[in-house]
Amino acid sequence: MNTEKFLELLKEELELESDLQTSTNLKELDEWDSMVAMLLIGLVSNEFDVNLTGDDINSITTVQSLMEKIGAERFE
Amino acid sequence: MGVKIQALEYYLPTNKITNEMLQDRFPDYDFTKFESKVGIKSRYWANSEETALDLAEQACLKLFQVIDKTQVEYIVYCTQSPEYILPTTACLLQERLGLSRSVGAFDFNLGCSGYVYGLSLAKGLIESGQVSSVLLVTAETYSKYLNVEDRSNRAIFGDAASATFLVKSDQDGLRQFAFGSDGSGAEKLIIKNGGTKSSCVTNPEIRVYGSENQYTDNDLYMNGPEIFNFTTENIPDFTKKILEINKMELSDPDYFVFHQANSFMLDFLRKRIKIEKDKFYVNMSDSGNTVSNTIPIALKRLMEGLGNVESPLTVVIVGFGVGLSWAGGIIEIDNSLI
Repeated sequence: MNTEKFLELLKEELELESDLQTSTNLKELDEWDSMVAMLLIGLVSNEFDVNLTGDDINSITTVQSLMEKIGAERFE
Repeated sequence: MGVKIQALEYYLPTNKITNEMLQDRFPDYDFTKFESKVGIKSRYWANSEETALDLAEQACLKLFQVIDKTQVEYIVYCTQSPEYILPTTACLLQERLGLSRSVGAFDFNLGCSGYVYGLSLAKGLIESGQVSSVLLVTAETYSKYLNVEDRSNRAIFGDAASATFLVKSDQDGLRQFAFGSDGSGAEKLIIKNGGTKSSCVTNPEIRVYGSENQYTDNDLYMNGPEIFNFTTENIPDFTKKILEINKMELSDPDYFVFHQANSFMLDFLRKRIKIEKDKFYVNMSDSGNTVSNTIPIALKRLMEGLGNVESPLTVVIVGFGVGLSWAGGIIEIDNSLI
């Protein structure tokens, strides 16, 4: 998936206020909570067929780290 | 010989908590997003003097307006909010309701899978000829287990009780059930203190999860993302198994009524399993996640919404959650629920 498209998709599906960069730390967003984590798991499962575990959610920081968890080769 | 649901009633406490009330209490959080994603607008909490047994009594009294209470031969009582550690709450309910001293009565401790388990136990008791009727009661007051600063769980959980009367019948109203358990997930949804392993402590350490939610080991803790994962990984195949053991295809049942955990999760499951939208019943905006009560409440609301039906409806029911524990089966419901 195109990285720009992924950033837009995250903003839309997680209903975030501000634009994202790959360097944005998801955990530092005002909106971050367990519900947003659930929405993220759902989005990644639907779009990439990758199931993020609770440990994955704990270890993710930036969007870049999320993309690496999904698989860096899946992005262009 | 079979078993059928003869009547079903539920009771919600009068203390209604709206999202606007929670918004006033937690001004830094935007509840409009919660409402659109999780699908809950209001929930009902027992007041401080009111217990799950009180709610159960009210649900049973509603039931006794349509059935004769002297017909009750056995009470199967599902709760994780018992009146005491001992004695058994079902025995207290026998006395409250003025039921015969010849009734059987026991509690079982399950959460969101509990109603399905209760139906399966009632089927076993009746089809084996031990009794000809069972009063199945579910009653929960999770609100009493929540930390006052646990915004997420306070928004999700509501209190309720239900009463279902099952009788011997020519109709095969309770078909085949299937079960699942995984104790390795125990800590994903748990109240650590207060059992025999660790007592409740004074001044417990305050813990934080998600953004700003607080809890202690005396309170209920739920790892929402982990529970979401468990559900989405297990329930689609489990639903197919329920259809298989009942020799049905996905298109055969009239409705699917899953534990009403949260509407985002339910929508995710529905799409994964590829269930038609109009067959998948979701109705939780008014009462939230009431644990073992969501399925009976949804069944009642489904029938009330449909009004009279010409023939019984075939419904797939699936409960899943704390334990971890899950159970599902196929039942028939008809106009006797209205």
